[in-house]
Amino acid sequence: MDLGGYFTLIGFGPTGWGDQLLAAALMTLAVSASAFFASLAFGLVGAAAKLAPSAPLRWLAEAYTTIFRGVPDLLVIYLFYFGGSQALSALGHLFGHAGFLGLNAFMVGTLAVGLVAGAYQTEVIRGAYFAIPPGEIEAARAVGMGRLLMLRRITGPRALRFALPGMGNVWQQVLKESALISVTGLAEILREIHIGAGSTHLPFDFYVTGFFLYLALTTLSGFLFRGAEAWTMRAERRPA
Amino acid sequence: MDLAFLIATMERLLAGVPLTLELSALSISTGAAIAVLFAVLRTSSRVGEWLVRAYVYMLRGTPLLLQIFLIYYGLAQFAAVRESLLWPFLREPFWCALLALTLNTAAYGSEIVRGGLQSVAQGAIDAGRAAGMSRLLLYRRIVLPLALRQALPAYGNEMIAMVKSTSLASIVTLMELSGIAYAVISETYRAFETFLCAGSIYLAINFLIARGIAWAEHRLNPHLRPAA
Amino acid sequence: MSTPAAISVRDLHKRFGANEVLKGVSLEAQAGEVIAIIGASGSGKSTLLRCISLLEVPDEGSVAIAGEAISLRTRRGRREPADRAQVNRIRASLGFVFQSFNLWAHMTVLENVIEAPVHVQRRPRREAIAEAEVILKKVGMVEKRHAYPAHLSGGQQQRAAIARALAMRPKALLFDEPTSALDPELVGEVLRVIRSLAEEGRTMLIVTHEMAFAAEVSDRAIFLDAGRIEEEGPPAQVLRDPSSERCRQFLLRYINR
Repeated sequence: MDLGGYFTLIGFGPTGWGDQLLAAALMTLAVSASAFFASLAFGLVGAAAKLAPSAPLRWLAEAYTTIFRGVPDLLVIYLFYFGGSQALSALGHLFGHAGFLGLNAFMVGTLAVGLVAGAYQTEVIRGAYFAIPPGEIEAARAVGMGRLLMLRRITGPRALRFALPGMGNVWQQVLKESALISVTGLAEILREIHIGAGSTHLPFDFYVTGFFLYLALTTLSGFLFRGAEAWTMRAERRPA
Repeated sequence: MDLAFLIATMERLLAGVPLTLELSALSISTGAAIAVLFAVLRTSSRVGEWLVRAYVYMLRGTPLLLQIFLIYYGLAQFAAVRESLLWPFLREPFWCALLALTLNTAAYGSEIVRGGLQSVAQGAIDAGRAAGMSRLLLYRRIVLPLALRQALPAYGNEMIAMVKSTSLASIVTLMELSGIAYAVISETYRAFETFLCAGSIYLAINFLIARGIAWAEHRLNPHLRPAA
Repeated sequence: MSTPAAISVRDLHKRFGANEVLKGVSLEAQAGEVIAIIGASGSGKSTLLRCISLLEVPDEGSVAIAGEAISLRTRRGRREPADRAQVNRIRASLGFVFQSFNLWAHMTVLENVIEAPVHVQRRPRREAIAEAEVILKKVGMVEKRHAYPAHLSGGQQQRAAIARALAMRPKALLFDEPTSALDPELVGEVLRVIRSLAEEGRTMLIVTHEMAFAAEVSDRAIFLDAGRIEEEGPPAQVLRDPSSERCRQFLLRYINR
């Protein structure tokens, strides 16, 4: 592996793969962010259901977290990739559409990875809610706050501070799991790397490039999350 | 729902269970041994600490599927690898997947074991030293037993994660549980039913692991249970 | 000199960073002698005991057990034992009783007691168990031999820890504030056990804040102050009528507490 040739290969020159790799990295970020926000939504609903007074709601949430934390992500992706088209085509037939309908790969990735991560997010948010000292909730009640106002002003911000480290872990997980979406053909990092490896017969060069691309993404976003954590912890630090 | 299809699918999928279990058991056990070694190495010297930290950082910062591809497709780029004694192993998807799974779980596991090591009370170590134990004996009889008990619940979660991760072996052509599930789906386009069958098998395996860990915790921690 | 001293410490210095905890301590304990070591917290009492069993490595000075000097060397500016095997052998000949018991949480009382005899001294398990049961009877813990430390009171844990130290057939026993972590009502049972050991004629160094007990069991008392031996002599003198002003003040504070 000669280094000059390597940098031409992954560079932005006419024979380089730089453009594709950059686009792929952006795609990885986009689908990861999309799945992460989906997981936040699923996690909020899941945590609310787990904390709900209604028993069936709690069982439903329990079933959700048990299934999606116990089944491989790859199977969930297959479920949405093939199952999504199965359902959509059936729906299409109903409305007189004869052909094949499918979810696009980006949607599949968002939903599948988002649902799996949402199961973990549920536990993170639930744990954060229980980490709030009960005295603070009582104090909010004592000044006459209603449930919604309390959620917005007191429990929400406090829970976020306790949840942020866990959410950072879920984000890292989502970023890495997004590589599995390559099986649906979405042009994210692993997919482009795989194509590059196949068409140039330089698999090692390409996979190592992918390795460091992911490492850069996880490292940089790790810094961001730690910065956000430090910001939410500002009240806990002593003044300088 | 089509019961006959479910039963037929279940039968096909069950044939993949031995391979799933084999990959899981081998990677978890070998990975755990390496994890303990790395965790101890990390506490033993400056150089060891940095080597293990770099290893853990790289393996936890990248997708497992990429690690599998790097070993299975990437290494073959080099003639030296293709002509080496290891080639009979490195050209087999089974050994490549197993190697990647093992190296991956060793990274996560070593962090869990490290947490366990840090939880061992200094007093217990002092007492061992005061009794004249050598470093090796101290680790074998006092530090590791206490650390591993502490690490067990978190390690149980890692084992379950590994069982799920063995599904990635299907992408390098291994016909374990997920590989067969993929084949069934692409033949029949019945993703829901197949997911139901394959998912419940994974859930059953992971349920058994969780029960096993809980049982082991109960057995190994009589000192944490209320006195009889 | 006919028989060497059981424990001989010469000009011991120990620093933690900029803080010099021991500033040249020398002491000799003859076989069968019981020495009480008193002093304020931070005076270096515990560090002295920990240096004797090499749990801390002294920066200067020497330690000899039954005439065998522990060999130390300096490497990259740090003092360390020259021969780990020697240190382990010497430690196994000393029984150390800690303030916070430090029983091994994952082992029963009996397993704690036979651990070092079986694995360090390599004595047959059966023999170690038989001996352990005799010792546990002596400290009043034989009924609790299959209990885990977490299920015992502090006094019971400390008696088990004393049994663990005795099971090594030690040449000397080192007690590091053995009753300081105990509730007041549990102190008596532990002191009774230590007193019976003193009566057997064992060599013991006892760091303690129990002045009456120290006066009663010891042959000699040492008052440590700021890393130095400030006063030393018969317990009646050191603990009741010290000549040093610092020692007098220390005792006054203790009595008035």
